[in-house]
Amino acid sequence: MLLLPLLALFAFPLCLAATKDTREDLVRLAKAGNGIIKLDERTYDSLTASDREWSATIVFTALDTRRKCGPCKQFQPSFEAVAQAWNKVPATSRNEHFFAIADFDEAPKIFTKLGIQSAPVVHNYPVAEGPRKPAHGKPYPSTYDFSNGYAPEALAEHLSLYTPVRIPYRPPVDWAKYGTFAATGLILTTVARFIFPLLKSRITWAIITIGTILVMTGGHMFVRIRGMPYSDGPNWIAGGYQSQYGQETQVIALTYGILGGAFLMLTLVAPYQTSKSRQQLQVWLWSIVIFVMFSVLISLFRVKNRGYPFKLLL
Amino acid sequence: MATNSKAYSLPSNVSPETVANTSSLLRIVSLALISGAAIASRLFAVVNFESIIHEFDPWFNYRATRVLASKGFYAFWNWFDPTAWYPLGRVVGGTVYPGLMATSGVIYNILHALHLPVDIRNICVLLAPGFSALTAWSTYMFTKEMKDESAGLLAAAFIGIVPGYISRSVAGSYDNEAIAIFLLMFTFYCWIKALKTGSALFGTLAALFYFYMVAAWGGYAFITNMIPLHALALILMGRYSSRLYVAYSSWYAIGTLASMQVPFVGFQPVRTSEHMGALGVFGLLQIIAFAELVRSHVSSKQFQSLLYASVIGAGILGTAGIVGLTYKGWIAPWTGRFYSLWDTGYAKKYIPIIASVSEHQPTAWPSFFMDLHFLIFLFPAGVAMCFKQLRDEHVFVIIYAVVASYFAGVMVRLMLTLTPCVCVAAAVAFSSLLDTYIDPAEPNVPKEEAEATEADPGAADAPTTPKKAKKASAPPPTLGDFVGKFVVDEKKPHGIFGLNTRLAVILNALAMLVFFVLHCTWVTANAYSSPSVVLASSNPDGSQHIIDDFREAYYWLRQNTPQDAVVMSWWDYGYQIAGMADRPTLVDNNTWNNTHIATVGKAMSSSEEVAYPILRKHDVDYVLIIFGGLLGYSGDDINKFLWMVRIAQGVWPNEIQEPNYFTPRGEYRVDDQAPPAMKNSLMYKMSYYRFAELFGGQPAQDRVRGQQISKTSPTLDYLDEAFTSENWIVRIYQVRKEDLLGRDLKLANAFEAGRKRKKQKPPVRRRAIA
Amino acid sequence: MAAWLLALLGLAISACAKSSTGNSVLVLLEPSLDKANFSTFFNGLTESGYELTFRAPRDAKPAVIEDDVAQFSHVVVFAPDTKSFAQDVTPQSLVSLLSKGTNLLLALSPKKQTIVNSLAAEFSLILPPPGTPLISHFPERDTPATVIPVKPTENPIVPTKGLLPVWFSGVPFAYSPNPLLVPILNAPSESFAADSTTDSGAEGIVEAADKGGEGLWAGSQLALVAGFQAHGDTRVLWAGGVDMFSDEFAQKESAKGQQSGNAQFVRDAAAWAFRESKVLRIDSVAHHRVNETEPRETYTTNDHVVFNTHISMFNPKTSVWEPYSGISDLQLEFTMLDPHIRTSLPPVPSNPGEYEVTFRVPDRHGVFKFIIDYKRKG
Repeated sequence: MLLLPLLALFAFPLCLAATKDTREDLVRLAKAGNGIIKLDERTYDSLTASDREWSATIVFTALDTRRKCGPCKQFQPSFEAVAQAWNKVPATSRNEHFFAIADFDEAPKIFTKLGIQSAPVVHNYPVAEGPRKPAHGKPYPSTYDFSNGYAPEALAEHLSLYTPVRIPYRPPVDWAKYGTFAATGLILTTVARFIFPLLKSRITWAIITIGTILVMTGGHMFVRIRGMPYSDGPNWIAGGYQSQYGQETQVIALTYGILGGAFLMLTLVAPYQTSKSRQQLQVWLWSIVIFVMFSVLISLFRVKNRGYPFKLLL
Repeated sequence: MATNSKAYSLPSNVSPETVANTSSLLRIVSLALISGAAIASRLFAVVNFESIIHEFDPWFNYRATRVLASKGFYAFWNWFDPTAWYPLGRVVGGTVYPGLMATSGVIYNILHALHLPVDIRNICVLLAPGFSALTAWSTYMFTKEMKDESAGLLAAAFIGIVPGYISRSVAGSYDNEAIAIFLLMFTFYCWIKALKTGSALFGTLAALFYFYMVAAWGGYAFITNMIPLHALALILMGRYSSRLYVAYSSWYAIGTLASMQVPFVGFQPVRTSEHMGALGVFGLLQIIAFAELVRSHVSSKQFQSLLYASVIGAGILGTAGIVGLTYKGWIAPWTGRFYSLWDTGYAKKYIPIIASVSEHQPTAWPSFFMDLHFLIFLFPAGVAMCFKQLRDEHVFVIIYAVVASYFAGVMVRLMLTLTPCVCVAAAVAFSSLLDTYIDPAEPNVPKEEAEATEADPGAADAPTTPKKAKKASAPPPTLGDFVGKFVVDEKKPHGIFGLNTRLAVILNALAMLVFFVLHCTWVTANAYSSPSVVLASSNPDGSQHIIDDFREAYYWLRQNTPQDAVVMSWWDYGYQIAGMADRPTLVDNNTWNNTHIATVGKAMSSSEEVAYPILRKHDVDYVLIIFGGLLGYSGDDINKFLWMVRIAQGVWPNEIQEPNYFTPRGEYRVDDQAPPAMKNSLMYKMSYYRFAELFGGQPAQDRVRGQQISKTSPTLDYLDEAFTSENWIVRIYQVRKEDLLGRDLKLANAFEAGRKRKKQKPPVRRRAIA
Repeated sequence: MAAWLLALLGLAISACAKSSTGNSVLVLLEPSLDKANFSTFFNGLTESGYELTFRAPRDAKPAVIEDDVAQFSHVVVFAPDTKSFAQDVTPQSLVSLLSKGTNLLLALSPKKQTIVNSLAAEFSLILPPPGTPLISHFPERDTPATVIPVKPTENPIVPTKGLLPVWFSGVPFAYSPNPLLVPILNAPSESFAADSTTDSGAEGIVEAADKGGEGLWAGSQLALVAGFQAHGDTRVLWAGGVDMFSDEFAQKESAKGQQSGNAQFVRDAAAWAFRESKVLRIDSVAHHRVNETEPRETYTTNDHVVFNTHISMFNPKTSVWEPYSGISDLQLEFTMLDPHIRTSLPPVPSNPGEYEVTFRVPDRHGVFKFIIDYKRKG
């Protein structure tokens, strides 16, 4: 009866020493990796040990080009930026939270162990022992929700829930953007003399206006807001009536443009012809273009809306 | 005459008066036919179903109109609705655009004064079709200002049957938009007219219709910004004129003062950013007018340059002033709804309640095509033609086209504002084409004076027999052509040779018009005429099967529950419950109190134990949910569930977390693999309670999610199933009262079921010292 | 712009004779217990005006509930040795009686796990294992250790003034926290519950209790008689044993030359349980604007509103409801989700039974309720 607590008493400083050692190890590793620990199976186990007194953020990713993981590459800079920002925190708090990365090609066993099948995945391991242990007391990791995108601001905001102090992330000053801005302004002022007549030309404005209209009615805003891809491999038409890919916008805008242009040709250009034969050729040509392109458009629409009962040529 | 070559002959013995009279008669007849077609095509819903109010918001409008009709306008103005947003209540008079209800109220009173005892419901149902005829007329007037009568008639025909507008104005769709589009077009018409003539009368008229618009629809901000934008563009183009000054000043001054009389708007026109553009342009115009005045009196060149500098300086100062006031908080910055149009990611991040509405989703191209058909590609052509002439009014159409096409791309709902512009531009393009190709004059011949026109376009007329035109509500294109002949374009260069080219183009054009009519009829009948309160499906033999679960459930509530029983549901159904079941609701479609909605979201998405105190606190007696899993009705609450979670998370981030409702792999599942938070949520339990029993041992299939539901039904301890409709679409649960003995309801149920209770030990009070 | 009306009430509050809810009493009496042995108690009831019907627990007639209607206003269960009752008497049916307005008087069995004993848990009472009656060796007396004189403790139901110790024999119980419970009689502090009267295993018990981390079945925290007022105002009286109702205990001396307090005690307790005593009711509520008399459907913000109510108490002696102005701590709440106004509702001196207050409606739109929530033990 008495032996047990004694043993425990004995073991306590031991394990304390042990965690202290691991912590130093981890700090060293983090330093080596410029704030990010590159994980293998062993370091993963020590980082996520069940008696850890620190919290950790681990990103599971596959950066190797063979894996063709686009989102991983997209996300990596954000993660690095946030980890860098954590480096600025004083050492006492800094060593309470670690950023780590597990690449599929370097530590596949971790992936199989955790059953992670997609990447990137961000896990937040809360503190399991000590004063910072969360109120619910569960040591299991939580997964970061990517629905807010890969932006570093949102990531830093969310991860700050797990760190002892806020991550002092500040978005870098976009010098390139300001530079371009200044340069464009400079160029514009210098060539204003030449541009001005262009600005006063109604052709310019007509092109801008009609271009905008075509792109908008082609569903550009849908693609932008929903972040739809340009195309899905060979499929460039998204299934379903309420969806579309980037390439569709282009095709549709082009189709509209050709059709509208054909009408303009018939109305505004053809009557100017002085030669009868050339005019007839034009008129017939544009009429046929309208008919064919319209058929194409309808057939495209039938692909999107399967129940549509009408069809022309195609 | 013989030397003037013609593609086909025209009778030459008709006097110009006859031509003029005939054409004006034909114009009136065709406008009447267009109105008839516009109204008739909107009656599919009444014919297919019955005279019933559609969807959600119209139910509130209908209820409000009933109050107005029965209690009078003053009572309506002061109406406090204690049954909505229970227990907060809603001050309806001050939070509603009363234009729609007032319109129906006035019609109702007039009809009753004429001893025509028409039911208020029928007025509400038929208001939208009636106003669509007026819209056709105002579009005609507007387009006439752009080009000519023939284009006007085409535009009227287009807007009369175009699905983009029908979608919001079928019979029963009793919503603000029903009258707003007419007001929009008529205000624009008055504005153009005022601008063209420099008439203060038309400016005032524009202001009055603007006021009506403000009273009717929140989208009035579109006019508030379109007209100043147009004025600004004209100024920048160096087209300032006294006509512009008179038109704008009269519209702005009267319109703004009038709009402030609407309680819901109040002082917004001088306090919010949405309205600052109009104010700024007004100020700018005054400065410019002053400068012009001074310039006309002073000749010194130096003084003039000084003047220009001072004008620019004053402009900058004014802008700085507005910006400064915004920072100081005197002027409210843009509201979220408005802001989300520019920063498209804004809504999803900060106002999920707005982002959750399906009408607020961006538009994919098939929707554009569905709603506008061939007008969509005539639209850029028409805009291009506006550039050709570029009169002041054409600038308006161009700006309108760009702005509206952007907005329509961002939000499906704003397709409605794009539609009139598309019709106008397309009509301009189309009628130009017809003008060119119907004109019988051969090139290289001096222009003919206008001539009679009786038999000449007969050839072109052939495909569209008059009968057909009437029946299918086809825009009789030839009527426009009649008129088009009289319009003489001086710049028209040569003309068209031969008859074959004419026939080719015109037949092509007519075929398109016919196709358009077929398309519109099909779309209207199939897509836009469902009341969504009543669903329709086809039996295997092709006959129509009506699914009337919603009304069944609402009438059950009305018949079987006490008058003051509070019903909780997701906000989509608030107006319908209030309208059809006449019971107090916690939240409804007027989503003014986000916290209250989040409370409902929290109750739905947390476990029974957590939800019960919330339900009790809000005196909830019944909980109503929509479940489509049996029938395959995809608009059900499980599909909306994530929005409930998100909105609740916005207010209680520590208690409700969206990721908990996904499987570890990030899937949204309702079957055995559903995460515990999902399985324990009130919504899940209520949806699938006793669902598996229906399948009698067979695997229970959710037809919406396509997943198998576990065979053991969830248990409910705090709620009792009260009612489930025929197809299980609506399920109503009764909230249990507190236990008689003050026990936890879970224990009470276990006791009722006869289960043994765990043996208890007496509580420790002190430790015994051995 | 508005306030709404609705008055909620939860009332419970002293005296003696006929019930405010009805006179029919069903006594489920075990055949082994002779009716004559309880004559003091039963005759007392009959004298007060109750109509007693007796039935053995296993008899089918008369049924407790017929056609979903409770047949009696009060039910007494004295059946300490009956394990199985007739079909219509189950824990569930007893609880359902409460929802039908019937009051209960239940006596626990010290020896067996009867229906009544298992039902106790539902009323937040915790019973020791069967066969562990209350034992006390103090004060020294000639009766067995299980028959104990108990000095009545202070309680709101039975007036203890001048009341002599009560003889008790039976099983004690502990409370779990429940606001609906009203303690009436607690065990003496030197008593305990045990399965034998000899003290041989005492240490073992203490040790076992200590190990298990549970409290001891001992001391004044154990209860012997408790009242319970359910939501819906029906009342239940729990007694640790039937003997305290018996003639034997009633006539037994508890102090020199004086009869025990049993007869008085059980009569008072039963009066409470049968809703004779301490029954209040709200006769009417009314509200109107200052200087008006008729209530309005809606009140405007910042209106001054008068709220008044009329409360009366049942007088069992005369069987009439009499105006009662004795409440000094009555409160009115004006609530929408949370109380916006909480004010005292003082009695109007000139008008017995009348309470009135005037307050200003808060500057907030919504549906408000007028709530009087007066809950006191007893």
